Amino acid sequence: MPHPDEPAKPITEAHAVAGASEDLQLAEACRSGNAAAYEKLYQAHGPRLKSIALNLLGNRTDAEDAVQEVFLKVYRGIGSFRGQSSFSTWIYRILLNSCYDMRRRKLRRQETPEPVREGEGETPLEIPGPVHDHPMRLVLETCVAQLKQNQREVFLLFEVEGFRHSEIAGMLNISETSSKNILYQAKRQLRRLLTESGKQT
Amino acid sequence: MKAMNCSDLEHVLRDAQPEELRALERHAETCARCAEELRAWNELCVAARAMHKEWASPHLWPQIQQALAAESQVARARPRTRSVAHLWANAWRQWQVAVAVLALAVVSVSGAWLLLRHPEPPVTSTPEAQRRLLTEQAIHQAEQAEAAYVASIEKLSALAQPKLENPATPLLASYREKLLLLDAAIAECRAQTDHNRGNRQLQDALLSMYQEKQRTLQEVVREAD
Repeated sequence: MPHPDEPAKPITEAHAVAGASEDLQLAEACRSGNAAAYEKLYQAHGPRLKSIALNLLGNRTDAEDAVQEVFLKVYRGIGSFRGQSSFSTWIYRILLNSCYDMRRRKLRRQETPEPVREGEGETPLEIPGPVHDHPMRLVLETCVAQLKQNQREVFLLFEVEGFRHSEIAGMLNISETSSKNILYQAKRQLRRLLTESGKQT
Repeated sequence: MKAMNCSDLEHVLRDAQPEELRALERHAETCARCAEELRAWNELCVAARAMHKEWASPHLWPQIQQALAAESQVARARPRTRSVAHLWANAWRQWQVAVAVLALAVVSVSGAWLLLRHPEPPVTSTPEAQRRLLTEQAIHQAEQAEAAYVASIEKLSALAQPKLENPATPLLASYREKLLLLDAAIAECRAQTDHNRGNRQLQDALLSMYQEKQRTLQEVVREAD
């Protein structure tokens, strides 16, 4: 069995992380309290969960806390999961809610979250991933942090994490058409912000 | 597929189908504005993929496993602790009232006793007075017995201490609160008895509080098992 912290599969493969039946089987195993099922869940989704949380929360510590919270919420709430959406969709929805809860808690403590600055003030633990860096990444991250919440979510889920619009629609409880429209608006806004920043090549 | 023009750009970018995109690319070969727009759009998509981050978190999975195990223990204990906690909530409230009444009674009685006894000399040589007061010898014996009793409670307390430091259930947390309150009441009572060693009521009150502490500690040890 691979170690849970092995790098995730490339996004294109991750698209097909689990078929519908595998998804349901995993949900059932988690429901029955099978510890191995949770490990499988972590192997399949951990890297993407961490990446989304990092892009929403801005630092790795908070991102990992959010992922841990997701697993606890899955454990506590698996009994109420009725399979109306796919299991993985449900998990990512929990993650998004957890991230916003964490941000709210931070704001209440008057610790204004900073936009994403990958690697700032953290131990350099990064390992070479399947995705190569891009010269525009830092400025793009700054611009993404300025998007409206729904635009940021759809952009991150579609363009960064490679989810399909049908999956995003399930996670955000919107229609596929809305997901496409929001993405378009997000990209137009990013184009504008990037042009303004004068850094786009 | 019909030929695309500039007016199709937004539609294609909003909901790009591969065939439409190819048609737009053909149009862009002769249209600088659409070519620039497509290039920027594609660059944005490529740069976005670099925002996917991966890093090693060797501690994260063990941490999650630990949290899940703890959650599982709490879930297993929940039905039992709920009912016990419900029963305990009432008992605990009654107990708090009882301790408050007891402490008040101890303070009142000892105060009144001191007030009434103050004019009298502390030691009388008459046989009648000697009968009324405990002899120094008897008091000494009582104190020795108390010391032994306290020592036995301390041993019990040492057994219960690890469970009380990190109470795993709401019931244990309640026991801890109760013991703290008892210790405070015992200290108060002891301070009174130090000033008035022969007071039988104070001795009785102190004894009953020690007994309550002993019972509580026994329950903690049993609960922990």
